[in-house]
Amino acid sequence: MNTDLVIGMAGSGGDGIVAAGESLLTAAAIEGYHGVLTKSFGPQIRGGESSFRLRLSSEKVLNTGGALDIAVALNWDDFLRFGGELPVGGHTTVIYDSITKITPDRIPLVGVTPFEVLAVPIEQMARETGGSERSKNTVVLGLMAGWLGVGRDPMIAGIKKRLAKKEADVVEKAVKAFHAGFEYATANPLKADRTMSPPAKGGAKFVVDGNDLCAAAAIVAGCDFFAGYPITPSTEIMQFLTREIWKYGGTVLQAEDEIAGVGAVVGASFAGKKAMTATSGPGMSLKTEMLGLASIAELPLVCVNVQRGGPSTGIPTKSEQSDLLQAAFSAHGDVIRPVLAPVSAEDMYSVTIEAFNIAEQYQSPVIILSDQEVGQRKETAEPIDATQAVLVNRREPGAQELEKYVRFRFTESGISPISHPGMPGGNYLASGIEHNESGAPTANGEMHAKMNEKRLRKFNPLRNRRDLFIADGPQDAPVGLISWGSVAGVAIEALQIALKQGLKVKLLVPRLMFPVSEAVFADFFLSVKRGLVVEQNHQAQFFRLLRMYVDVPRGIETLAKSGSNPITPLEVVDHLRRITLALQQGKDREPSEV
Amino acid sequence: MSTTTATRPIQDYTAKDYRSDLKPIWCPGCGDFGVVQAIYRALANIGRPPHEIAFISGIGCSSRIPGYTTAYGFNTVHGRALPIAQGIKLANPDLLVLVAGGDGDGFSIGGGHVAHAIRRNIDLTYIVMDNQIYGLTKGQLSPTSRRGLVSVTSMHGAMEAPVNPLLYVLGYGAEFVAQGTPADMNGLAKVIEEGIRFPGFAFINVQSPCVTYGLEDQQLKAQKALMQPLDSLGHDPSNNLAAMGLAQEYGEKLYTGVFYRKPTPSATFEASARERQQALGAGTRPRAQVMDLFKLKK
Repeated sequence: MNTDLVIGMAGSGGDGIVAAGESLLTAAAIEGYHGVLTKSFGPQIRGGESSFRLRLSSEKVLNTGGALDIAVALNWDDFLRFGGELPVGGHTTVIYDSITKITPDRIPLVGVTPFEVLAVPIEQMARETGGSERSKNTVVLGLMAGWLGVGRDPMIAGIKKRLAKKEADVVEKAVKAFHAGFEYATANPLKADRTMSPPAKGGAKFVVDGNDLCAAAAIVAGCDFFAGYPITPSTEIMQFLTREIWKYGGTVLQAEDEIAGVGAVVGASFAGKKAMTATSGPGMSLKTEMLGLASIAELPLVCVNVQRGGPSTGIPTKSEQSDLLQAAFSAHGDVIRPVLAPVSAEDMYSVTIEAFNIAEQYQSPVIILSDQEVGQRKETAEPIDATQAVLVNRREPGAQELEKYVRFRFTESGISPISHPGMPGGNYLASGIEHNESGAPTANGEMHAKMNEKRLRKFNPLRNRRDLFIADGPQDAPVGLISWGSVAGVAIEALQIALKQGLKVKLLVPRLMFPVSEAVFADFFLSVKRGLVVEQNHQAQFFRLLRMYVDVPRGIETLAKSGSNPITPLEVVDHLRRITLALQQGKDREPSEV
Repeated sequence: MSTTTATRPIQDYTAKDYRSDLKPIWCPGCGDFGVVQAIYRALANIGRPPHEIAFISGIGCSSRIPGYTTAYGFNTVHGRALPIAQGIKLANPDLLVLVAGGDGDGFSIGGGHVAHAIRRNIDLTYIVMDNQIYGLTKGQLSPTSRRGLVSVTSMHGAMEAPVNPLLYVLGYGAEFVAQGTPADMNGLAKVIEEGIRFPGFAFINVQSPCVTYGLEDQQLKAQKALMQPLDSLGHDPSNNLAAMGLAQEYGEKLYTGVFYRKPTPSATFEASARERQQALGAGTRPRAQVMDLFKLKK
């Protein structure tokens, strides 16, 4: 029995690879299992190679794990194109279609001898039962249900439901194809035990992805206006809202470009509504001038950046964490724009609501720094009760304040009550130009300095929001582990493994990336002599940002990698072990690699 | 800023109710003084209280104009007044939304937005103060500068042809297109009022001369002699092709009045949005219900 299995499958576009992965995840989630599903494609718009990676677990998991336990190749050319995204190890069970005419001892995997290799007549079974090779994915689902002991009944129900509008014999053929795979698995048990142990906590789960959940959470948060421009890998946010937001009285505008998208959002916010835009790196570059305008005009808005490989067009379909410095320092001028990063798709719910709350409270644009992994992977989540959401609205002027309304009044908190068009007595001039308290344009240097001070001071309480951090492990640990965004899901698991191995390690994961919470990090570093900052970019951007604001101990190293090969929990644990060893040898001030 | 007009009944407004106490930065004799006066007059005739008006501009001499009114103003960034104004109108369709800026703002840096504001037909009134020069940055070539113009960025004469704002907006299907000049204050106030009253996107090009960097034949005195009111020419403003024919003469003739007014205006974006919201049952369900979409159906 296993509590955790990683399955990878590849084939050609049209083989229904992704649909198979989603069916397996959904069926497992109905039975109460947890899982994370990522999809990967070639660059073609249609067709080309296609794959999924699915990690099933009896408990919540936050990353897609390491080498595959089960690898399924419908054909080898397509499988090999995914390289390190579908890594086969010495423990892997490899299943491939016998129609490839390759014998198990000749499979084209270099430098690795899998635990077992099976040639299965997948296409043959598909043709005999489903009538065509299009049923190959259904046969594979039958195989998985048989070997894993997961999802048999929900998958059969799923097939029937999906094909409900088709003719009866279509449904019958599909179910037959599934049974063929299931019976093949029963008749041909694997050498390795690949059955799953029952889920730790029962009850059906939600299946979410970060983009859809961001859009839904925006509706919950009170968002009434979205404007954006299609860009991979963020477009699903706009697509979701285009379907749903009208039902709650909101409006979506597909803008002519990224600038107009965020521009309309600035306008909607000025008009008093909660508003959001979403984009990826290239769009973020275009939006920055408007973010500066919202900062000086002190208008709340939420801007989501679902990061992809950059610079420029980069790799639109692959995840990276390389826009952190851009997010922190986007647009010119001397101002703070809060940046929040979700650690998982599920986390996107609370991060999105928090982003709206912070935007409204501090009258500022807030950037959600998501990434392709968080945005597009499918993941199970415990059911979310949105009636419990705590929402913050901007502070509007009261009747007394409207008698002689001063929009940018210097207050103790730095936050000034904000009116909106339509509110009698609240009339004011908003502007990108520097202004005095009443909003009148000014070129006075002293007034500019005072306004800058106000616009920065107002964020002071935000820096002490310890609830925006995940902290774990013994407080006095000498080894510190820091990570953020989707990669934090790897670090969180690595910590658990390291603690089980007896390493003295603690973990800090910020959801608030900027402004850097100096006090929270200083506290964390009190006991830390050595440690590791893990992130998916080449320059170790968060490590460098941290060093700008905090006295980071000399012994902190970075594990920073770009590219689509995920950093695995075991890789992080290996580093933690090496660091611990060095510390035991008395080396607490010489990082071996920075 | 004075905001004393909130509770007075409609139709009791005069031009000075819309005038703020900020002193314009414009040069003495600038055409924009006339434009803002014409706007006060048009707004007084319409009679909406200032707090129900949002006045949005970009960057440039003319874009300072919202601050000189008592409306809610937003002096935004260069070239982006239209997208911001559209967001405002969609967020609150009950507002009267005015947009203003210069020819550089509208037809150079922000030129890409004009077409889309037109095709969406959001009910805005877009006033371009067209002076054929960049005044705020002190006399550079603008998108409507005539070919051959000698300016500080075209010292040997401009090599490019001017944009034709009138033909541009007619080409994209604008349903209300007019032109005015502060040389004819009555005519200017009238077309602005008509544009505001038009139920959809309305475009008004104002030949607003730059006294500091403009040419002699563009000044108010010259305009008075040159201008030809379209109604005196017997132009039928419901005739789109005739409007386009007259618009061709931009830069040569100074026609004033309404070039085109679509007799049956199309539905606005915001009206369609409201219909869609109603059709999909807006306001009938709690927002938390959106999470049901993530429930798995067994």
